[in-house]
Amino acid sequence: MDALKAAELSFGYDGKTILKGIDFEIKDGSFVVLLGRNGSGKSTLLKLMAGILKPQRGRIEIYGEDINKMPFTERAKMIGFLAQSHNTVFPYTVEEVVITGRASYILYSPNREDKFKATEAMEKVGIIELKDKPYNQLSGGERQLVMIARVLAQEPKIILFDEPLTFLDIYNQIRFFSLIREILSHKFTIVMVIHDLTTAAKLDADYIMLSDGCIAASGKKDIFTKDNIQKVFNVDADIEIQTGEITLTPFMDTRQ
Amino acid sequence: MKRESLFYILPLPLIFLSLFIGPSETIKQVDVYYWLMFKIFGISPPDFVDLQIVETVVLEIRLPRIITAFLVGAALTTSGSSLQAMIRNPLVEPYLLGLSSGAAFGAALAMTRLNMPIQISAFVFGLFAVCLTYFLALRKGEISILSMILSGVIVSGIFTACLTIVQFLTDPFRLQGIVYWIMGNLHNASWTGVKSMAIPIVAGSLLLFLIRWRLNVISLGDIETRTVGYNPTTLKILILIPSTLIASASVAVAGIIGMVGLVVPHMIRMMIGYDNQRVIPISFAFGGSFLLLVDNFSRTVSQFEIPIGIFTTLIGGPFFIYLLKRLKHGYGD
Repeated sequence: MDALKAAELSFGYDGKTILKGIDFEIKDGSFVVLLGRNGSGKSTLLKLMAGILKPQRGRIEIYGEDINKMPFTERAKMIGFLAQSHNTVFPYTVEEVVITGRASYILYSPNREDKFKATEAMEKVGIIELKDKPYNQLSGGERQLVMIARVLAQEPKIILFDEPLTFLDIYNQIRFFSLIREILSHKFTIVMVIHDLTTAAKLDADYIMLSDGCIAASGKKDIFTKDNIQKVFNVDADIEIQTGEITLTPFMDTRQ
Repeated sequence: MKRESLFYILPLPLIFLSLFIGPSETIKQVDVYYWLMFKIFGISPPDFVDLQIVETVVLEIRLPRIITAFLVGAALTTSGSSLQAMIRNPLVEPYLLGLSSGAAFGAALAMTRLNMPIQISAFVFGLFAVCLTYFLALRKGEISILSMILSGVIVSGIFTACLTIVQFLTDPFRLQGIVYWIMGNLHNASWTGVKSMAIPIVAGSLLLFLIRWRLNVISLGDIETRTVGYNPTTLKILILIPSTLIASASVAVAGIIGMVGLVVPHMIRMMIGYDNQRVIPISFAFGGSFLLLVDNFSRTVSQFEIPIGIFTTLIGGPFFIYLLKRLKHGYGD
């Protein structure tokens, strides 16, 4: 069954079209990476999938249900979203922030189970020692990890990540991807926007390349061709493929 | 845990002790003691004590005033804590959204033009001003925080201008009444006032108590609220209605008592942390106790009674400056 399905999805604002009738399906338990230039509509597409934006035409279904017709709590149990960056004015403790991920299960106050799930998520991400630290005084990378723990505590079936690597150092990037592999082994579906092509090419994922509000290419690693890179990113790149590893070396003279 | 339960116990001894405090020359502290001994244990007082007068003063003047002070403090603080979390700004107070200027205009109008009780007019206009702010801020069915603050500033400005017109057209004698009302005071506290404010304040605070944990969620941001399962606009309305209601009810009875809704929530957070699960109930208990304490001072510190609104601002102002100075260590960018 398809975890996510987009049909003739269109979106734009202020007279500018951002997505021009996109169709795709994402299989249950798969790992999808969205690629494209700045302004190609990747983040918009992710926000449409999360139900943060409403499509002007077309629809998005999760497990066969129109996302914009689901109640908020039901939607949150199905799909989680991680923004690029986040901060708060109030110095809540890390634990207090993580437990807000449980909102769709909570009517008045978190109970013992919610606290247990939050602790479990913090342990999984490796931030349990930050539990009582004020969230807004953490570094950007640590805050990112807290938000990852928050979405794990939420326990959705599908998790959407918008540029999760932005604030992570190399150590935490590696930790992040081993975490992703662990999440995937538990039958989650993951969709991720990634800027860095070289990192993206190292992942074992399904790829969707967006260009100009349309899907330019989709498939496995074989879509990393000189042609596609040129078409989507307007960059000439040297592509080396060695024992399944792809190395992309863009030529630095970018075309107009 | 120990320290927190103190906050809940605090109001009881404070209310009890406040019964003994008052500017009255005829009734001494010891007279209240005699009256209590007679009421509780049936011990007769010395002949020179007129229990009838003592009873009247304690039950008809002091007790309603104590309850009014407590409820007003509780309402302003609870409302302030909730709105600060909802608007995600620690410098917000219940008056920001036009409540105080709307209520002041309503009160002035009732005192001069309308044939209407001051309290009702203040309440209606206060609520009206906040509704106006809210609808000005509403865009495509969503409320952005920034437009809400801006609308609040504009609505406040308009009502202040209207108030000035009313004041300008009023004779000096009535003008004095308006000015006195705006200062905020508990001088006119009565059982009628208590009755009219108790229901909205208790009901509104109870509602905020029920949704107190959601304040943590909404204060993280609209997207962060939406993606974990709450509709941010619905939640904001759910917070806005009771916080406005309780603040309006207290303004209608006691006038504009400044700084309480702004400063006391911060005192509480500094003492017990930022989790609204604790902040909201303690806002009610400690906010009420705080204003009652300040009122006891304002009643006894000088020969004549200083309006409590001036007192709270005099105490709150310097504290607020202190708060601003240490802001960068506590609050994020």
